[in-house]
Amino acid sequence: MFDVLLNQFWQLTISGIALGFIYVLISLGYTMVYGVLRMINFANSEIFMWGTFASVVVTERVFHFTATTEPAKGGKLLLVLALCLIAAMLTSAAVAMFVEFIAYRRLRAKGVNRLATLISAIGMSIALSEGMRMLTNSRPVNVPRVLEKTVLFNVGNAQVRIDNVIVIFAAAIIFVLLERFIKLSRMGKAIRAVSMSEETAKLMGVNLNRVITLTFAIGGLATGAAAFFYTTVYEITKFDVGFTMGMAAFTAAVLGGIGNIRGAMAGGIALGLMETYSAAILGTQWKAITVFVVLILVLLFKPTGLFGEAIQTGRA
Amino acid sequence: MNMNFNLRDWGADIWERSNRPKRVGLVLAFIAAAACLPFLGISFLDTPNASYSAVLVHPIAMFVLMALGLNIVVGKSGMLDLGYVAFFAIGAYAMGILGVRYGWNTWEVMPIGILLAMFAGLLLGFPTLRLRGDYLAIVTMGFGEIIRIIALNWGGLTNGPNGIAGVPMPPAIFGQEFDLVNQKLFFWVVLVMILLTIWMIRRLTVRRPGRAWEAIRQDEDAAELMGVRALRYKIWSFTLGASVGGAAGVLFASKNLFISPEQFKLNVSVLILACVVFGGIGNIWGVILGAAILGYLPDRIRFISDARMLVFGIVLVFVMNFRPDGLLPRKKREKAIVKKGA
Amino acid sequence: MSEHLQKETRDDAILSLRDVTMRFGGVTALNAVNIDLYPGEILALIGPNGAGKTTVFNVVTGVYQATEGDIIFNGERLNGMKRYDITKKGIARTFQNIRLWGDMTALENVITATDIHKKSGVVGSLFGLPRARREEREGREKAHEILKFIGIDEYSDRLAKNLPYGVQRRLEIARAMGTDSKVILLDEPAAGFNPAEKVELAATIKKIRDAGYTVLLIEHDMSLIMGISDRVVVIDFGTKIADDIPSVVQNDPRVIEAYLGAPADAS
Repeated sequence: MFDVLLNQFWQLTISGIALGFIYVLISLGYTMVYGVLRMINFANSEIFMWGTFASVVVTERVFHFTATTEPAKGGKLLLVLALCLIAAMLTSAAVAMFVEFIAYRRLRAKGVNRLATLISAIGMSIALSEGMRMLTNSRPVNVPRVLEKTVLFNVGNAQVRIDNVIVIFAAAIIFVLLERFIKLSRMGKAIRAVSMSEETAKLMGVNLNRVITLTFAIGGLATGAAAFFYTTVYEITKFDVGFTMGMAAFTAAVLGGIGNIRGAMAGGIALGLMETYSAAILGTQWKAITVFVVLILVLLFKPTGLFGEAIQTGRA
Repeated sequence: MNMNFNLRDWGADIWERSNRPKRVGLVLAFIAAAACLPFLGISFLDTPNASYSAVLVHPIAMFVLMALGLNIVVGKSGMLDLGYVAFFAIGAYAMGILGVRYGWNTWEVMPIGILLAMFAGLLLGFPTLRLRGDYLAIVTMGFGEIIRIIALNWGGLTNGPNGIAGVPMPPAIFGQEFDLVNQKLFFWVVLVMILLTIWMIRRLTVRRPGRAWEAIRQDEDAAELMGVRALRYKIWSFTLGASVGGAAGVLFASKNLFISPEQFKLNVSVLILACVVFGGIGNIWGVILGAAILGYLPDRIRFISDARMLVFGIVLVFVMNFRPDGLLPRKKREKAIVKKGA
Repeated sequence: MSEHLQKETRDDAILSLRDVTMRFGGVTALNAVNIDLYPGEILALIGPNGAGKTTVFNVVTGVYQATEGDIIFNGERLNGMKRYDITKKGIARTFQNIRLWGDMTALENVITATDIHKKSGVVGSLFGLPRARREEREGREKAHEILKFIGIDEYSDRLAKNLPYGVQRRLEIARAMGTDSKVILLDEPAAGFNPAEKVELAATIKKIRDAGYTVLLIEHDMSLIMGISDRVVVIDFGTKIADDIPSVVQNDPRVIEAYLGAPADAS
């Protein structure tokens, strides 16, 4: 049982970290929105899923890649990857803003109870995933290979492929950029002001609607980037891909301390590794269970996560 | 819109003006009318896949039953349970496994299925019900999926993706055989379960547990400070809701004769939630109406059948944004003065 | 002076805060506060906005856990107890910003509070066991009694959210009394009242005291406080700065300074 884990330890670690970085970016979508609204963005999983399809559409429709096309090289490779990334990010950001506008804004303005907002968000999530299901006839969609998966170097008996490296580096860069943006830019400061105290921020003249829309958009950008990396590494997507990925990323966010951006980093990587190792031991079909057990245990014993943020009770 | 309000008030008025014998009469008349439904034979209501008598049992009555169960959790105590299908699945698999392997009949499995579902509710509820609403929602959603994954992968117990076939039908009662062509006996069984559930909800609503749930739903902090043991009553609400789901699952398995993990997806939870929300969260009659409509229409209208989940998703968003009380609002009337809401 | 001596020697406090400190991160909301509440008195807790008055209530009722110090009720330490257990021991409160259950009637609000001492739960209620039925009936009767006592029984069937503001404030008091607590903490019960209503409320609070309750009261209206309190505790910046009979506190230079230091404080 543990043989697999020991024999392939480095291989698993590398793919675990790559998966972890994808989680990091998706969990930003949860964490950012949670920070300002103190609510879970239930539709984030579908924001992710739509991003994966945006990436597919660009490769297939814009660059006419098919299952038999040779992977791209040189300048074209960079162009295709960059455009796919941008398309996925923009699509996810647009979907996120749409979600905010349709499912959250009106209810927030009315100040009704949280249950109504939650149900509205869940409805939105279902509609987004079902819409895609109908567009794709419930079928999984293979993503044509754009990037030749060359082995760059070996660590022990493990091969480090270029897609893993790209994911890890690019995700880290995007993470740092977003983190800096929130720390340093004017809008970022407004976001942080709102997440500390909505009332005070309003008194100080922050335009709440704009800040919240922007927060959804930034969360969407991160989630969209994750979607692109997902298609690059796994080369397949489906209308229900958001469910498991979203659940795991949410768990990562809680593990790191939801609302805490740096916590999302640690939580994502930790969860990616845990999931990959446990899949090697127990078999991939039990992956979702690992995630769920981690979520329950964290909520039970350390509900503030590794890096803290009171989540148990609302603001009293 | 106004018609709904009047309809509700009209019913409540009659009820309030009646004395006890008259109320008993009203209830009996209502039950008798409901029991006669299978004889109406309105072939207009046939769906492309099923006859009127079958439609009446599934989806309509089954949906009503499950929606009433979920309403205990969502409507009465204000907790969002997105994993309701888990309890349904547990009941169904209890029936499937005990029925096929050990030859137990439906009535023998029923209490086991209910207890198992309640136990699962307790197991899930204890660590999670102290969390705030949105965490509960996402954890229950995960739980529903976990149960399905277990059913899918624990082949030794559940026969995995192939499911369990040949689940026995319930044995005859009062010499009447259960029959899949004319399902009126099934309907009566579900009707009895619905009535028991309504009885349970009404009993609890007007007494201490109902007040505790109501207080928790409206302001949990204030409730605890006034001495309501919130966690205890939330767990009760959760397990009672689960018991109804489990019972529905047992019956579903022995009516459908075949169960597989495919039948217990997140969709079911969302669908039942949509019934509750559409009809009117917290209002028994609203929930019944909502479940009957949302259970039935998508089967009847081909156009909606494929897009049903899309429609339900949109219904959730739309109802919450524009008519959060659903078709029949829960808003209680005031006896003395009827004043427009403040 | 004799009053002072008596205070020093009394040891029959029903509720005591012993060196209670409450910190939120770096902010100290209460700093080694000592307060004694004696049976049958009306003790007013005053101080400028943000002085930590409501924090005292929150620490006592278990909303917050005191960082340091003990809260003693009838000789028993309350620190770390669950909120509902503290209420069950016999301390109930009202809220500065009204927190009734708006979708319940006035009567139901009070009955829910009376549920705290009932023995029957879900099973008894479901099967209508004799004890459950009896307790339901008794709770209803008791709730009506309390509403009558407070003088708002005529509103018993109205939804709490539709009640006039003043009635809502009184209903909060009735609900706290419903828990059968002998110690009632009132958090600004006269907020938003006009002078006539304040007079009426003062009479009600006295009536509550005379019925055997002990009242700890947060209030801003000086004339109300001076009229009904047996004793006044003043806190400023989380520290107790005075604790005496109203006439003495009124002339205490530190108190005057605290209030002059925070002008325009009339809410």
